[in-house]
Amino acid sequence: MAEHIDEPQSGEQPREPERPAESGEQPREPERPAESGSTSPDEGQAPVPEEMAAEEAAVAGGEEPRIGVYICHCGGNIADVIDVEQVAEEAAKLPGVVSAKTNMFMCSDPGQQAIADDIAELGVNRVVVAACSPRLHETTFRGVLERAGINPYLYEHANIREQVSWSHGDPEQARDKATALVRAAVAKAGGLTALEPVRIPAEGAVVIVGGGVAGLRAAGDLARTGLNVTLVEKELVLGGRAAVLDKLFPYEEAAADVITRLADEVLEDTRITLHTGTEVKNVDGYVGAFTLTLRQRPEGVTLAADPDRVARDVAGLGWRYEPFRGYGPASAFDAATPGGDDAADTAASAGAVPAAGETPAGGDEPGAGEPAGDESAGTITVKAGAIVVATGYEHYVPPKGEYGYGRLPQVVTLVDFIKWLSEQPEGGTPTFNDKPVRAVAFVHCVGSRQVDGVHKPGPSGHINEYCSRVCCTATLQSVVDLKTRFPRVAAYELFQDIRAYGRGHEEYYERANKAGAVFLRWDGAQPPKVAKTKGDDFPVTVSCIDGLTWGEEVEMGVDMVVLAVGMTPADIGGLGSSLKIPTGADGFLQEVHPKLRPVELSVTGVLVAGACQAPKDVTESCASASAAAVKALGLLATGHVQLAPFVAHVEAEECLGHGHCVAECPYPGAIAMQDYPDGQQRAVVNPALCSGCGACVAVCPTKAIDLNGWSLEAYESMVDALLASGGEVAR
Amino acid sequence: MSVSPTPDGKILILSTISCADPAADAVGQAHLHHAANTYVIRVPSPVLFPDQFYYDCFEKGFAGIIVMSCGHECPYQGAFERLTKRIDRVKLGLKERGMDPGLLRLTAICTVCTKAYVKEIEDMNARILAAEQAQAETATAAVGGDAA
Repeated sequence: MAEHIDEPQSGEQPREPERPAESGEQPREPERPAESGSTSPDEGQAPVPEEMAAEEAAVAGGEEPRIGVYICHCGGNIADVIDVEQVAEEAAKLPGVVSAKTNMFMCSDPGQQAIADDIAELGVNRVVVAACSPRLHETTFRGVLERAGINPYLYEHANIREQVSWSHGDPEQARDKATALVRAAVAKAGGLTALEPVRIPAEGAVVIVGGGVAGLRAAGDLARTGLNVTLVEKELVLGGRAAVLDKLFPYEEAAADVITRLADEVLEDTRITLHTGTEVKNVDGYVGAFTLTLRQRPEGVTLAADPDRVARDVAGLGWRYEPFRGYGPASAFDAATPGGDDAADTAASAGAVPAAGETPAGGDEPGAGEPAGDESAGTITVKAGAIVVATGYEHYVPPKGEYGYGRLPQVVTLVDFIKWLSEQPEGGTPTFNDKPVRAVAFVHCVGSRQVDGVHKPGPSGHINEYCSRVCCTATLQSVVDLKTRFPRVAAYELFQDIRAYGRGHEEYYERANKAGAVFLRWDGAQPPKVAKTKGDDFPVTVSCIDGLTWGEEVEMGVDMVVLAVGMTPADIGGLGSSLKIPTGADGFLQEVHPKLRPVELSVTGVLVAGACQAPKDVTESCASASAAAVKALGLLATGHVQLAPFVAHVEAEECLGHGHCVAECPYPGAIAMQDYPDGQQRAVVNPALCSGCGACVAVCPTKAIDLNGWSLEAYESMVDALLASGGEVAR
Repeated sequence: MSVSPTPDGKILILSTISCADPAADAVGQAHLHHAANTYVIRVPSPVLFPDQFYYDCFEKGFAGIIVMSCGHECPYQGAFERLTKRIDRVKLGLKERGMDPGLLRLTAICTVCTKAYVKEIEDMNARILAAEQAQAETATAAVGGDAA
C-alpha cells in the first residue's frame, strides 16, 4: 500500500520490485571532450585533453533501480482535485518502485526528510516526486538526493499541480492523468544514470564588450572581485547612448556625472584593461577558455592593467567628459578626422601595451596553447573565461517623411530636443533656428508599437511591434523640463498609452499635467499627422483624432514637433555569428529565460547586460550589468567552470562513424570525428562546446549519440508509459 | 471555463523547457481548464526527435501530437529551422501512410502564450474528433455492407 506521511516514518519494509530491472545495464558516462589533433585514444575510450578534467560519473553501476515515488498534496492545491492516495497506490505497483508515499508538502522539511529516510533505510536509489512545477522545486529535490548521498541526477519530476490539478476540474480525469504522468516519470527514472557536472579549468578573466553604462558598471563590479577585466569599446569614447542624455530620471542626476563616475572607476582600477576604438572580430573556445580576436582602429587607445597608469596614461591623455559625446581622451574630441595623425600619435603615446593574457599583433610568439597573433596591425588576442555582451542599442531613425521628419526642419527627435533644450539660455523665450518657440508637440511611440499595414518595415525587414518602454518617461521628463524652464511654452503630448512603469516615473506624468501640458490620445491605427502650415502663425500643424474627447479631430499649430523615438537593436557585427548567440523576433539578444536565467545567453559563459537585450533605462541597464557581473563571478570564482551534464555523449561501441552528427551540429567543435586504434572513425563530444540541443541525436542511424539526462530511449519509455493501460487507474 | 468535447484519443505535447512548458504552467496558474487527454513531456528542444519517433507515437496509440517549440526564439542555434524541416517531412510521411498530417502540429508557444496553448489543444481535439467520427462512420458503413 502506498503510505501517507505527515511526518517522516521509518521501518517500512521495502517492496520487492515486481520486475527486475534489465540486468547488465551499465550507467552512461559523460563523454570526455576531445582536443583537435590529439592522439588516437585507447580502444573504446574517448581521448581526454589535458586542460579539461570532466569527472567520471560516479554511477551506481549495475545496481537495480529502487525507485521512491513521492506524491505531494500541496496543501489542497493538488489533493483537493486529485486523489493522491490512489495515485500513490498505483505507483506502488509499478516495476522498480520500492516506496510510494504522499505528504502534505513534499518541499517541507518533513517531506524532504521522508525521501532521505527512504534512501537511507530502503535503499532507494532513484526518486520521483509528483508535485508542483519542476521550475519551483526540481533543484530542491536534487539537493535532497545529494545530501542523502546519492547522485542528484537520479531524479525525475512529475508536474501534477500546474499541469493537472490546476488545469482540469474533473477529479477522475485529473487523477488518471496524474497517474499516467507518474508512470511516465517512473519509466524514465528507471533508466536514469548518475551524472556529474562537467568541470573544466577557467581563466580568471572576463571580457566586456561595450563601454556604455552597462559595460562600465559590469567592469567596475567584476574588477572589484579580483578578476581580470578587459573592456572593449567600439567608439573612441565611453558612455554609450547615455551620453546623449542631459539628466537621468527619476532622480535628475546629470548623465555626465553618472558616466564620469562609472568611467573613473574603470580608469582608476588597474585590474581593468581598456581598449577603445576596438571591435571584436572573432571568438573561439568555450566557457572558461574563450579566445577573442580584437581589431583596434589606429586612433583607438589601450590602457593596459598597470599600477602606474593613472599617472602615466589617464592624466596624460587628458580624459574628460564632453556633453552629448561621452567620456574619452582628448584625442577623441580633438582629432580633426578619425584616423588622423593626432589620433595615431595618441594611440602610440598611450603605449597600446598588451595586458596580461593578451598578444599584440606582431609581438612575441604566443605561448603553448595560446592562439597565434594576427600579423595585421591593430589586432589583439585576449583570453577570457566569460564574456559579457553589453553592446547597447541605437535610437530609431525615422524614415524621411515620417511625421515630416527630414522634410520639415521643425521636426526633431527627442534626442535632438534634449540637447537643444539644454543649450537654451535661462529666461525669455527659447528659439529654434532663430525663431521663437511658443508651442511644442511631442509624439510618442515613434518607431515603437508599430502596426502592420500602418507602418512600413524598416531596414530589418519587419516593423517594431515592441514597446521601447523608456520613451514615455523620457518624454514626460522633457516636457516637465520645458515647462519648468519656459512655463509660457505650450506643450502637447500625443500618446497611445502612458507607460510610466518605474519607481518615480508616474510623478513625471503628474508634474507634466500640473504644469499645463495638454494630453491627446491617439489610436495605433490612426497616428497623428504633421504638415507644413501655409500662411499661419505657426510653421507646423499637428492633427490628431483624440480618444480622450471621444474621437474629436484636434489641430494645433506648433513651432517644433518632437518625435519620441524608440530603441532598436544595435548592430553587433560579427560578434553574434561568431558567438552563435540568438536574437529574438525583435532583434534584441535573447536570454535563455526571462525570469529563470535572465542575463545568460544560450552559449554558456556568455552573459548579457544592458539594452542590447531589450529596451531598458539606465537604472535597469546597471542592474542587469551587476547581475551579469555576479553570474560571471559565480562561473569563474573557483578557477573551474562547472557545467550541467545535459550534453550529448557517444556510445563508442555503437558509433559506426557515419558523421551525420558532426554535419548536423550547429556548434563548431562540439562534435568531431576521431580515429580509433581499430581503424574506425567515431564521433567524440566536447561537452564544453555542446549546448545540449540534441540535433545530433535525431540523425544518428545507430542511436550511438544521445543526450545525458534526456535520452531518446527515456522519451520512448515515457511514451509507452503514458499509453499503458489506457492511462486509467485500475478500479 | 468550459471544456470542449473531448475525443477518446490522447494528445502528446512535446513542450520546450524554455518556452512552452512554462506556458503550460501559466495555463494552470490561470486555471484555464482544458481537456485532460493531453500529456506533456518537456524537452530541451524537440529537434532531438527523429522522424521515426513521431511515427512510433502514432502507431503506439497517440491520436495527435503537438510540438510546442520556442519558434524563432529558440535558445539553440538553428534548432527551430531543423525542426521545421523535419516536421514537414514527417507530415508528408503521415500523408503517405493515409493519416491526416494535421494530427501532427508544430507551433511556437512562448512562456505567456496561455490562450494560444489552450487553443492549440482545442483545435487538435476538434481534428481528432473529426477523424474519430469519420472512422466510426466508415465502420458503420462496413457493418451495414456486411449485413446487406
